[in-house]
Amino acid sequence: MHYLKKERWEKGGSSVTDEKLFEGRRSFIKLGAAMAVSTATVMELAAKESVPAPDLSYKNDPNSMDLTPSSYGDITSYNNFYEFTTDKKRVKPLSRRFKTEPWNVTVDGLVEKPFTIGLEELRRFPLSERIYRFRCVEGWSMVVPWIGFELSALVRHARPLSGARYLRFETLYDPGQFPDQQRTLFNALEYPYVEGLRMDEAMHPLTLMAVGLYGHSLPPQNGAPLRLIVPWKYGFKSIKSIVRITFTETPPLNSWQRAVPAEYGFFANVNPEVDHPRWSQKRERLLGSFFKQKTLMFNGYADEVAQLYAGMDLRKNF
Amino acid sequence: MRRALIALLLLAPLGFLLFHLFVSGAEDPIKYIYTVSGGTALTLLYVTTSLSLLRRAANFVRYRRMVGLFAFFYAVLHLGNFLILDMELDLKMALSETLDKPFIYLGMLSFAILLFMAVTSLPRLFAKYVRYHRLIYAALLMTSTHFVMAQKALSPLQWGMVAVMALIGVLKLLQRTGRVRF
Repeated sequence: MHYLKKERWEKGGSSVTDEKLFEGRRSFIKLGAAMAVSTATVMELAAKESVPAPDLSYKNDPNSMDLTPSSYGDITSYNNFYEFTTDKKRVKPLSRRFKTEPWNVTVDGLVEKPFTIGLEELRRFPLSERIYRFRCVEGWSMVVPWIGFELSALVRHARPLSGARYLRFETLYDPGQFPDQQRTLFNALEYPYVEGLRMDEAMHPLTLMAVGLYGHSLPPQNGAPLRLIVPWKYGFKSIKSIVRITFTETPPLNSWQRAVPAEYGFFANVNPEVDHPRWSQKRERLLGSFFKQKTLMFNGYADEVAQLYAGMDLRKNF
Repeated sequence: MRRALIALLLLAPLGFLLFHLFVSGAEDPIKYIYTVSGGTALTLLYVTTSLSLLRRAANFVRYRRMVGLFAFFYAVLHLGNFLILDMELDLKMALSETLDKPFIYLGMLSFAILLFMAVTSLPRLFAKYVRYHRLIYAALLMTSTHFVMAQKALSPLQWGMVAVMALIGVLKLLQRTGRVRF
């Protein structure tokens, strides 16, 4: 592993958001919400819906896969966020007063020098729009125009030691804000929520640390202020409201694997050939359409990521 | 009159379902139909068996057949949702899914029992088959397991439902063994 040698984020001043562009974001907004989004379809949707005015500056996604984003309303009112409730529609009202400021993320474990970084600083990583498919293990999916920076940039910034082979992520633990964390008996999961990635997955250019969607900062129900997005994995891998990232030598035990090890593995790659013991994964229902569509291998990102799992038995390593 | 009122009450979940599907709009309609039809069928099955527990306080036992048939009606909606909307009438896939997933075949077995009971609830057949109607306890057990297995994790409300189901089960057992007279 040579991650230490590639300090692209530190060297490449040009990849950081241009200060002029950053300062000029007000006038940018005045041009209208439609300017901030990339495709005609999105513009139409944005015009119809009450999408908050963009407050992030970022590089647009050319949308080479020609995906049509789900509506802002669907994306922000149909959420799995078990810390609030297992009811997808109640997350939005319950999370309305979620406090995202101040917000710090601690990076520790096998790194040269552990540190804590604030949100403002994190947002200085080059932001880009990524229109990704997003598929839940429960069999529904949506297309989300995320805004975020590549996790690889943060990994390089952290200078992991050579023994670091995995990343462990942790969601905020705050029973005062999360109703399900107050329950000790009938809680849906053990908290804090934990997820993990292998180093090569974390370094993959598709892997995103999202800070927004539809040009706007993430709403609480979508994992404000910072969440992980790994588009070829089931949704539960993309941990929300991250407060800690730890570099480890061994694979971290993710929350769902801890809760039901027979049903959820470490990798959680979208795979139509491997069923969840209770739900078929062959097809999925895209939010907003009535009938189901076929699920694609690695959620449609096989060309980009299949080589990460070459030689692995994906039935065992699910 | 009373019968019509009860029928109306039993149709309310369907009205609720249709309203949400066609007026207010459900994000995941197929899942929503599963939840409402399945939840109603399960609840009505428990109501059917509990009516005899309340016999002294309020004798609703004469409506038992009607409630049971409504439970069957919601079970038909539930199965129809599976076959028509979810599997899109791909019967081969429906069969392989059923054989593959324990919670689905538990549901199918329960449905078979309900179908049998619905058919033999016709007056002439009922006298002959009434003793087999005790199969409802098997259906209750399997449907309850089916419900629990279908959840990713049980919410506090669902834990409450499981507790109520267990309580009814215990009371029925006590009643059946004659230890307590209701």
